[in-house]
Amino acid sequence: MIIALALVLLILLGAPLFAVIAAGAFWNFYQADIDLQAIVIEFYGIAEMPILLAIPLFTFAGYLLSESNAPRRMVRLTSALLGWMPAGLAVVSLVASAFFTAFTGASGVTIIALGAILFPAMQQAGYPEKFNLGLVTTAGSLGLLFAPSLPLILYGVIAEVPIENLFLAGLLPGFLMLVILSGYSIWKNRAIRTPLGDFSWREVRAAMRESMWEIPLPFVVLGGIYSGYFAISEAAAVTALYVLIIDVVVLKEVSMRKLPSIIRESMILVGGIMMILGASRASTNFMIDAGVPQQLLQWISGFVTGEFAFMVMLLIFLLILGAILDIFSAIVLIVPLILPVAVQFGINPVHLGIVFLATMQLGYITPPVGLNLFIAGYRFDRPIVDIYLSTLPFFIFLLFSVVLIAFWPALSLVLL
Amino acid sequence: MTRSATIFSKLEKAGTFAEDAVLLVILVSMILLAGAQIFLRNFFDYSLFWGDEMLRMMVLWLTVAGGLAASRMDKHISIAVLDRFLPDRMQVVTKVFVDLFTAAIGGLFSWHSARFVMASYEFGDTLLGDTPAWLLQIILPIGFGLIAYRHLVFAIKRPFNLAGSPAGSNNSQ
Repeated sequence: MIIALALVLLILLGAPLFAVIAAGAFWNFYQADIDLQAIVIEFYGIAEMPILLAIPLFTFAGYLLSESNAPRRMVRLTSALLGWMPAGLAVVSLVASAFFTAFTGASGVTIIALGAILFPAMQQAGYPEKFNLGLVTTAGSLGLLFAPSLPLILYGVIAEVPIENLFLAGLLPGFLMLVILSGYSIWKNRAIRTPLGDFSWREVRAAMRESMWEIPLPFVVLGGIYSGYFAISEAAAVTALYVLIIDVVVLKEVSMRKLPSIIRESMILVGGIMMILGASRASTNFMIDAGVPQQLLQWISGFVTGEFAFMVMLLIFLLILGAILDIFSAIVLIVPLILPVAVQFGINPVHLGIVFLATMQLGYITPPVGLNLFIAGYRFDRPIVDIYLSTLPFFIFLLFSVVLIAFWPALSLVLL
Repeated sequence: MTRSATIFSKLEKAGTFAEDAVLLVILVSMILLAGAQIFLRNFFDYSLFWGDEMLRMMVLWLTVAGGLAASRMDKHISIAVLDRFLPDRMQVVTKVFVDLFTAAIGGLFSWHSARFVMASYEFGDTLLGDTPAWLLQIILPIGFGLIAYRHLVFAIKRPFNLAGSPAGSNNSQ
């Protein structure tokens, strides 16, 4: 008990999560008289999961894309396609961000790469500043449910659910979030009737020609996976190789000289996630052996009956969790414990994944640790409180869509 | 003082360079090897028998090297909630404490992975056909040892706030 409290205190003081988790595992194994080498062997298990290859490769590809001019081209293409709508630029910002986040793995890169283009553009177009801040900050994690986002892959790895199914399941819920936020943006800015411009085939063609190297990417990735041509990790390898060749050799938008620092930045994120994954394998297996999921089930069954009540409780729990824990650690640490419980309550593991990620997405804009709040505060040089207040309306609409996603399983499962 | 500081900063530079080099070499070879595997399989119906195992070992190496880089930049995933409310002086104290803790865990992990690698060496485990496994597993004790060293250096440096220390960069999440 004292040890547990000490570990919690260490977490609150900012100790690296991997170290705290490893410390917990060391303590548990020591208590149970198990050779501590077993923890190393669990960590070494990282080298026995072929799917993990996808994580560094997709992350690198996303970071590389964000350093090229791809974000600018993507904004142009989206503007050409959607700019004719009322409040066109707001809709463009949401769609472009969602698309970009799918590839950058919701690591906060979107706000830096796209927000820097979209925020000034929206200011100039006369949208209120508070709305712009909120939109750019919220949009930074909007594409989380779209393939091939990193959290989707990680959930698949941990829950042992086919990642192809998760990719499909995320589509409609992801669109729902986009549509709801776009609807809000159009309604909110109904005073600004001026669209970006008339729809023009010429502009669409020009924008498409400019983006001709990026447009094939989603088709290669998803087409390759669903045609059975290659596995997820191979799709990641193809993406990384393709982006590397296009941006460094063909378009020459990223110089060789910059490559080491891009690799370093992206691998810091990968190392951070995977260290936690490795360390938690030991503690998770220990907890499963100790029957923690069964105890959890028993405890919850004491006051919750039925799928509906369980889902309500799950949402509340995940909202709190998302406010204090980042999405990657939450997946690695919590999913192994709640998955067996949720299945007992009749929830489909794929649906659980979508609900889990959709709720955790709210955590990006929830204090105290919401990553997007800090990145936006840093990037746009505004106090965190301002950023937070500006995201509130978006938070409410996202929460509404999360509730829809949670209680409408067919939305996630109909495409499977 | 100044002289040891120069040696120290040279060591830092060399370390960063080595880390970058390892990350670059492994990631680029990973992309090329994985690409080659797909190409060979689809067009020649052939695959390198050691390829998939090698790729998985590269993931392990990237994990540890990336973790080490995260340590150097003080960018490990963490949830610092309390320390924002503490006065500056106390923040230094808690950070030193946290670094000492991380160093201790890194050291412990390094020690037990050294035992793991020794056992693998004694049993003559092999990977990729007949490559001794310990050659590929050695990243664990080395990497975690360096992580321990890194946080120990932080713990010593922070109170003095010497140049080059990333103190105050608690923007990690």
